[in-house]
Formats: sequence, C-alpha cells, structure tokens
Amino acid sequence: MATKKAKECYFCVNNLEVDYKDIRTLRKFINFYMKILPGSRTGVCAWHQRKLATAIKRARVMSLLAATHK
Amino acid sequence: MSKTKKTGAGHYEILFIVPNKFTEDEAKKIATKVDAMIVETEGKVTFSEFWGKKKLAYKIKNNEYGYYGLFEFDLEKENLAKIDNNLRLSTEILRHQIVIKKIKTEAELKREEEIRVKIDSKKAKEVKVEKTGVKKDFKEEKTDKTTSVKKAVASKSSGLKELDEKLEGILNADDLI
Repeated sequence: MATKKAKECYFCVNNLEVDYKDIRTLRKFINFYMKILPGSRTGVCAWHQRKLATAIKRARVMSLLAATHK
Repeated sequence: MSKTKKTGAGHYEILFIVPNKFTEDEAKKIATKVDAMIVETEGKVTFSEFWGKKKLAYKIKNNEYGYYGLFEFDLEKENLAKIDNNLRLSTEILRHQIVIKKIKTEAELKREEEIRVKIDSKKAKEVKVEKTGVKKDFKEEKTDKTTSVKKAVASKSSGLKELDEKLEGILNADDLI
C-alpha cells in the first residue's frame, strides 16, 4: 500500500517569510481560478496559512494578483 | 484597532501605483514627492525602491499598466493618517497600500540564523545520501535482471512466493554494494 507522505510547510522548511510582494511564491498557493488553496492541500502550517491568506489578499488589492481568472 | 496605541513610533511600508499616463521620469518625480511627504511629517525613510512599469493584474480606472514605487519608513503613529489621506486625495497616484512592517529584534535574528545553519547542514547531508543512493539502485537493477531471469528459468515450477523471497534476499544482501 502506498501511503501518502506527510507534506511539510514550505515556509517553515525553507525558513522563509510570507511577503505580499513576492508573487512567484504566492502563485504556488492559488489555483487556476485564483482561489486560495487550503492548507490541507498545500501542506502549509496553520500559522503560515493565516499569513499567506492576508498576503494574497494584499497582493490582490495592489493588482499584483488577479482576483479571478479571465 | 481600538486595542492598538494611537501614539508612539512605528515602522511602515508603503506601495503605490502611478498611472500609465505619466512617463517614467515623471513617475519617478511623483515618487520623490511621496518621499518628501513622508519627510514633511517627521518620518524617516529607511528603504526605497522604484519597480518601474508593470502590467496590472486587472484594469484600474482603465489603466492597464502602472509604475510601482515602494518606501519603508519610521513614523509617529499620529502622522500616518495624514500621509494616508494625502495619498488618497492626490490625483497622481492610482492606488496605495500602507502595511505595518515588523522590525526584528536581535534575539529573533539570532534564532533565524541558527535555523538557517541547521537547514543548510541538513540539505548538504541529503545531497550526499542522494548521490550514494543513485549508485546503489543502478547496481541492484543490473543484478536483478541477470539473477532473476536465471532463477526463473531454472525453477519454473516453484511458486511465486519462493521467487519473491529469493528476490528480497538478493535485494537485502549487503555484499552487492
């Protein structure tokens, strides 16, 4: 039986901070429809998931990220 | 907001968009205006950056492109509203956002460095393991093909269980490496 490997938090493992200006990393955590992916899917820990959600919303305000797909 | 103190110093970050109707030089001048605005209200600019022309993710007031500017500054909390209001009223700026930026204490910086060193050492170890691991697999594959074919031919009648056991034995043997 293939067991699912527990995912590690991207920010904890790489010792990174969540920044709303860093779109390249934020893009990893949104789907095609520009919706924020759940932490259960991306493996981000709860603490960073909260930071991530606010960062994505801030990026949307400044038109760095779109709120919807075209 | 009610819980936060209304006086005292704070560290902030501002990101603003200048519309595309201006040229790049004009946009830079507008950025210096914002800088002056911060200095006027007894602020201290610690970091500034001009990103240049970028495509907006969505149109803002029919602008498809905009110039982004970034400032980091220390300011009294009372004066923050002034800057916010001035930027909101100015016609030269399309949109702006002020964010509280946390200043790291020495203890936090120290801890971060420790973690960084740990991660680096871990990564170095992983790379070593991967290198040796690849070699092992390659050898095992070779031996797998030759030995398993021979044995399969020799003992066709023997059950699959036996074969599996033998294979596992070969794979687990240490003398291969």
